[in-house]
Amino acid sequence: MFDQLFDAALFDSVVRAMIPILLAALGGMICERAGVFQIAMEGMMLSGAFAAVAGSYVAVYSGLGVVFAVGAGVLVSLMLAFGAVSRRGDPIVLGIALNLMAIGLTGFLLPQIFGVRGVFQHERIDGLDRLAIPVLSDIPWIGSVLFNQTILAYVAFLLVPILWLVLFRTPIGLRLRGVGERPLAAESLGVSPIAYKYGAVIASGVLSGLAGAQLALGNVVQFAENMSSGRGWVAVVAVMLGRAHPFAVFGASLLFAFAEGLGFRLQGNGLPVQITDALPFLVTLIALIAARKRFARLLDLTTGG
Amino acid sequence: MAEQPLDAPAGVGSKIGNVAGHPALFSLIFAFALGWAIVWLTGGDPWFAYREMFDGAVTGSGLRNTLSRAIPIVGMALAVSVAFRSGVINLGGEGQMVVGGLAGTVVAIYMPGPGQLVIPVAMVVGGLAGALWALLPALGQTRLRLPILITSLLLNYVARAITGYLVRFRLLDDSVTLTSTEQVPATARMPKIPVFGGVSYSLLLVVVLVIVIWVVYGRSVSGYETRMAGLNGRFARYGGIQVERQTVYVMAVAGAIGGVIGTHMILGDAYRYIDGELVLSGLAWTGLLVALLANNHPLLILAAGLLFSGLQIGGLAMQRNADVSWRLAQVLQALVIVAVASRLTFTWFKRRTDRGVTPGEVEPAGVGEV
Repeated sequence: MFDQLFDAALFDSVVRAMIPILLAALGGMICERAGVFQIAMEGMMLSGAFAAVAGSYVAVYSGLGVVFAVGAGVLVSLMLAFGAVSRRGDPIVLGIALNLMAIGLTGFLLPQIFGVRGVFQHERIDGLDRLAIPVLSDIPWIGSVLFNQTILAYVAFLLVPILWLVLFRTPIGLRLRGVGERPLAAESLGVSPIAYKYGAVIASGVLSGLAGAQLALGNVVQFAENMSSGRGWVAVVAVMLGRAHPFAVFGASLLFAFAEGLGFRLQGNGLPVQITDALPFLVTLIALIAARKRFARLLDLTTGG
Repeated sequence: MAEQPLDAPAGVGSKIGNVAGHPALFSLIFAFALGWAIVWLTGGDPWFAYREMFDGAVTGSGLRNTLSRAIPIVGMALAVSVAFRSGVINLGGEGQMVVGGLAGTVVAIYMPGPGQLVIPVAMVVGGLAGALWALLPALGQTRLRLPILITSLLLNYVARAITGYLVRFRLLDDSVTLTSTEQVPATARMPKIPVFGGVSYSLLLVVVLVIVIWVVYGRSVSGYETRMAGLNGRFARYGGIQVERQTVYVMAVAGAIGGVIGTHMILGDAYRYIDGELVLSGLAWTGLLVALLANNHPLLILAAGLLFSGLQIGGLAMQRNADVSWRLAQVLQALVIVAVASRLTFTWFKRRTDRGVTPGEVEPAGVGEV
C-alpha cells in the first residue's frame, strides 16, 4: 500500500503544491519581520494568477505572463501599503477587503475580457516550461523531480537561503527587523519605518504575484475563478508556524504541500474529492494545535488579551 | 487609538470610528468612481451600466429581489457584528452558514408534521448546528490559545468538505443533475409576506433581530460588557468581565444567527440544498463587509445591507441589459471597505490636493473617532 502511495509522482505533486505556498509565505514572512500584519496574500495570488494568464495570452509567451503577475501583485500590495502604512488603517480589515476585491475583480474581468465564465483555457496561453538542470536532473528519483521544475520553483527554493542571509546577515535585514521590533529605536537611528514597510509589502506583492503565476501557468495552464482556493491563507499560517524564519517557513510550507499532494494521490485511489480537498486545511489546523504556544502576538493583536 | 493598529486591542469595527467620523460617503463615491473607470477601461458604457444597476435594484421586481437578498446579507452582517463588537474576529460565517443550512434542510425534508411545527424546528436545529460549529474556533481560542481569525477561516474549507460529502454521498437527489438534496416539501417552505409581490417572512425575523441586538447593546449590562471587551480586552478583564466566557458566548450567538440564515436560504429561497451554492453566493462575506461599513451598528447594518443587496440585484440587471458582469457589485463593495479602512475622507482629499501632504502624514484623530 505505501509503495503505491509514496513514489516519485507523489513527490512531484508535493513540490508543485509547495511552490505557490512557499512563495507567498516568504513574502508574508518579510512583512511580518517589518511589523506589517499581512493577510492579503490570497488576493494578491489570485490577481497574479489572472494577470499571468492574461499576459501569456496576449504575447503567447509565459514570460510576459510572469511580468503581468508581478505587476498585479504589486498593484494590490500598494493598496495595502497605502492603507495600512501611510493611512495606518486596520491591516486585518484591509487584507480581508483586498482578498474579496481580488475575487470580484478577477470574476468581473474574466467575462468582460475573455468572454467566458468559470474557467479560461486557450491554446494561446503559454505555460511555464520545466527546465531540467543538466547532470543534477539525472540523479535518480530526487533529481528527476527537484531539478526538473519551472524557473519559479528554482526562484522559490533559492530565496529561502537568500532571504535568510539578507534578514540576518546584512544591514538591510537588520534595519527591516529593527523597524518591525523597535520602530521608534529604528527611526531614531535614521531608518525610515515607512520606507521599509512599503518595501516589505511590495516584496510580498511580487512574491505572491509569482505564486499566482506558478499556479496558473505552472501547475496548470488556465485560469479558474477563485483558483487560489485558500492557499494564501495557508501561507499566513505557514508564516505563523515558522515564526517568520525562512527555513522554518519552508518546513511549514512543505508540510501543507505534502498534505495537498497526498490528498491528490488519495483522490486517485478513490477517496472522495470532498474529503481530500479538506486534507491540507485539517493538517494546518492540527499543526496549529501542535504549535499553539507561538501565537501570542496575533492573539494580542486580535483580542487585546 | 485608531492611529496605532498594531497596538490597539480594540475589535475590528471599533477602530474604524463612529458614524460622524465615518468616511462612508467619500468611500462610496471613491468606489463608484473607480468602478466607473474599470467598466470604461474594459470597453463598457459606465453611465448606462450604472443606470441599469439602479433601475434593476428598485424598479419592477427589483425591489422585491433587493428586499429578499437583504435578508441573508443583513443577517450575516448582524452575526459578524455581534462578534466584532466584542473584538472577536469571526471569519467563519460561511462555514457556520453552510453547516446550519444543511442541518436545517435535513429537518425540513425528513421531519413529518405541519409547517407551523417543522419550520421553527428546522430553524432552531440550523441555529444550533451553526452555533456548535462556531464553538470549535471559540474553544480553540479560549482553551488552546489558537487565534479565531485563522481557525474560523480554515474551518470554512472543512465545512465545505463535510457538507459536500454529505450532500454527494448521503443526501443526494438522483432525479436531478445537480449535486443537491431533495426538495423541501411545500408544507415546510417559509411562507411569503404579500408585499412587493412576496417577500419571505424571514424578513420579519431579521428586522426583529436588528431591534433585539440594538436594544441589547444599547441598553443592557451584557451589551456594555461585550462592548468593553471589544474596546479594550485587558481593561475589561481588569474590570471583572470574563472575556473568555464572552468569546464563547458571542461566537455561539454569531454561529446561531449564521445557521438560521443558512436554513432560511433553503426553506425561504432555494427550496433545495445545492452543494456549493451558499459558498458561491458570497453572502457571508458580503455580510462581513456590511458590518464593517455600518461599524457594527444594527440600524446602520439594515441600511448598508439594503444598499449592498441593491448593488447585487441591480448588478444582475446590469449584466442582462448592459452586458457588464454583475461581479462589478462585488468589486464596488470591497473597494468601499478598502477606502473606509484607509480612512479616506473629504478632509484628507482636500488637504492632499490643497497642500500636497506627504503620504506618511496622518491628520489627528477626528473628534468622532472611538
